Amino acid sequence: MTDSSPKTLIQSLPSSFEAGPEWLRLLRGRAADALRAGGLPTKKTEAWRFTPVRSVVEAVFSPAEGDALSVVSALPEGVTARSLREVLESEPGLLDGRLDFAGTPEHFAALNTALFTDGLWIDVPDGTAVDTPVEITHAIGRAGVSYPRVFVTAGESAELTLIETYQGETVGGLTNSVVELDVGRNAKVSHVRIHENAGMQVGRVDVRQAADSVYRSTVITLGGALLRLDVRSLLDGKGAECQLDGAYLVEGEDHVDHHTRVDHRAPHCRSNQTYRGIASGKGTAVFDGIVIVHRDAQKTEAHQENRNLLLSDTATIHTKPHLEIDADDVVCSHGATVGALDEDQLFYLRARGIPADLAHAMLTYAFLESIIDRVGHEPTRTRMREALIARIPHGDEIREVT
Amino acid sequence: MLKIEDLHVEVDGKTILKGITLDIAAGEVHAIMGPNGSGKSTLAYVLAGREGYEVTKGSVTYKGQNLLEMEPEIRAAEGVFLGFQYPVAIPGVSNIYFLKAALNAIRKHRGQDPLDAIDFMKLSKEKAGLVQLPDQLTKRSVNDGFSGGEKKRNEIYQMAMLEPSLAILDETDSGLDIDALKVVAEGVNALRGPERAMLVITHYQRLLDYIVPDVVHVLIDGRIVRTGDKNLAKQLERDGYSEVRDAIQP
Ligand SMILES: Nc1ncnc2c1ncn2[C@@H]1O[C@H](COP(=O)(O)OP(=O)(O)OP(=O)(O)O)[C@@H](O)[C@H]1O
Ligand SMILES: [Mg+2]
Repeated sequence: MTDSSPKTLIQSLPSSFEAGPEWLRLLRGRAADALRAGGLPTKKTEAWRFTPVRSVVEAVFSPAEGDALSVVSALPEGVTARSLREVLESEPGLLDGRLDFAGTPEHFAALNTALFTDGLWIDVPDGTAVDTPVEITHAIGRAGVSYPRVFVTAGESAELTLIETYQGETVGGLTNSVVELDVGRNAKVSHVRIHENAGMQVGRVDVRQAADSVYRSTVITLGGALLRLDVRSLLDGKGAECQLDGAYLVEGEDHVDHHTRVDHRAPHCRSNQTYRGIASGKGTAVFDGIVIVHRDAQKTEAHQENRNLLLSDTATIHTKPHLEIDADDVVCSHGATVGALDEDQLFYLRARGIPADLAHAMLTYAFLESIIDRVGHEPTRTRMREALIARIPHGDEIREVT
Repeated sequence: MLKIEDLHVEVDGKTILKGITLDIAAGEVHAIMGPNGSGKSTLAYVLAGREGYEVTKGSVTYKGQNLLEMEPEIRAAEGVFLGFQYPVAIPGVSNIYFLKAALNAIRKHRGQDPLDAIDFMKLSKEKAGLVQLPDQLTKRSVNDGFSGGEKKRNEIYQMAMLEPSLAILDETDSGLDIDALKVVAEGVNALRGPERAMLVITHYQRLLDYIVPDVVHVLIDGRIVRTGDKNLAKQLERDGYSEVRDAIQP
C-alpha cells in the first residue's frame, strides 16, 4: 500500500475482499460499501460537529508496519490472548457471528473492519475470575496509520481487568482502533484505557452486556493532537450495570473528543457516567454523552455527569450530556458544569504557604485524580496516577504530596 | 509586630472597614469582638491576602514591611497564619501531605532545608496529639467530611505545625464543645511566647477565660469603637453591644 489519506483510501477499497473466511470477507465488504456510500464524516455530520475531522480525513499517512499491538503483562492463568490473524487462519469459523457484534460499523470503525490485518482476541472462559490485569499496549513507533483491533470475550461469571495503553511520541501518525467486549452473564469486566499518544487517534469501544454483568470503563486522555473516542455500551440483559468514567487533560492546541452512548435495552439495568476534564492553552475538549432508555427498559437507573475546568480564555469546552427516554418507570439524571479552579481552595492552600503555581497544580491533579480513585485495582490506580503526574506541572512535588 | 493604620477596605464597591487602627506588639494577644457583619472576617482576610478586597486607604506594616504588597504565600512564609472561620474542604488533596508541602515551602523561603518524611511525621504526631486530632484525620483529604469541630482542630493542628509569628484566629471557638474548646485553647497557649503575637476573633468571652488577652477591641460597623482589657469582654458578655453602640451614637 502507498501513502494516502483516509479520504482517498476509501475510494480504493475493493468491492470484494479476497482473503480470510467468507463471513469476514462479507463483513469487510459491507464496511467498504458503507464507506463508499456514506463516506467519512465531515463537519456537517452531527456527531462530528466539534471534531476538526478534516485534519484526519485529508491528512496523508503511510501504512504502518503491522499494528504494533502487544500484550505486555504476564497472562493470568485461564486467560488466553491469541492473534486474530492466527485464529482466523487456523479456526476460520470460530469468530463467525461474534466479532463485530455491534452490527455494520460506520466511519472510521468501518475502515478498521475493512482493513485490520491482525489484532488480539482475549478470552476469559466461564467461571474464570482473574485479579491480575491483562495489559496491552499499542505503540506507534513512526508516523503511519494503524488499525488495532481487540476482541474481548468474558464468559459467564468471568472476571477480567483489561488495561490498554496507547503510546507514541510521533505526531504524524493515526491510530484507528476498534475494541469490542462481549461481557457474559454475571461477568465483571474492568477496562482501563490510557491515551498518552501524541498523534491522532480515532477509537471505538463497543460493549455488549448480558444479564447481571458489570462493565466499568475508565478512560484517561492526556493530550493528543486529535483524539476522538466513542465508548458504547449496550445493556442487553436484565440487571446489567455499566460505569463509564473518563478524565481528560487538554493543553497546547490539542483536541480531545469523548463520546459515550449507553443503550438501556433491558429492564433493571443501571448506568453511571462520570467524565471530568481540564482545558488550558488553546486546547479544545468535547464531551458528548447520550443515554437511550428503550421502551421495555423499565426500572432503569441512569446517571450522567460531566464536569470541566476551563483554565484559559483561549481554551474551549463543549459538553452535551443528554437523555432519550422511552420507558416511564425510570430514574435518570444528567448534568454538566464548566468552571474555573475554586478560589476558596486556592486561597486556603496559598494562605498556608503553598506557592500559587503549585496550588494550581495540586487542585488540577486532585480534580482528575478523583476519577482514577474510582478504579478498584490499586496497582492500576498507581499506574494511572503516574501517567497523570507526568503531564502536570510540579509533578514531582505532587507525587510527594498525594 | 503588626501595625494597622486607618485601614479602609471595600468589597464589591461597598466599604466594609472604615478606618481601623491597631498596634500589636510581639508577645501580645489581642481579641476582637463584634456583632455579625461588623467586618471581623474581612479584616482577617485582608491581613492574609485574599483577593477581592480593595484597600482604599491606610496601611498595614508587619515586621517593618508593607504586608499588603505580599502574595498570600509570602505572608505565610513570613509567619502570618489565618485560622479560617469556615475552613474549605479540598477533596483529593491529602491534609498531611499538603501541610508538608506548605511547611517545606515556608522553610525554603527561610533558607532552611526541607524536613524529611521521618522528621515531618514525628512532628505531625506530636502536634496532632497536642490538639487531640485523630491520626486518621491528618491523612484524609483537607477538611473533607470533617465535622465542624474537627475542622477547627485541624486549623489549630496546622498552626502548631507551621509555628507562625502572627496567628489570626477567626472564630476558632465557634462550634466547639467545652472539652474541645479547652484543647484548642491549650494548643493556642502552647504557641504563645515573647516572639509571637495573636489576634483572636471571637463572639464569646468564654474563650478568653482560656486564652487570656492583653487587649480587647470592639469592632462595630467597620470601626474599632472601644478598646480595653479582658474585663471589657466580660462587660460585653453581660450587657451586649447595645451600650457600646449607644455610647458611640448618642
Ligand atoms: N464578597 C462580598 N460582597 C459583598 N459584601 C460582602 C462580601 N464579603 C463580605 N461582605 C459584607 O461585609 C460585611 C462584613 O462581613 P464579615 O464577614 O467581615 O463580618 P464578620 O464580622 O466576620 O461577621 P460574623 O460575625 O458573622 O462572622 C457583611 O455585611 C458582609 O455581608
Ligand atoms: Mg466572620
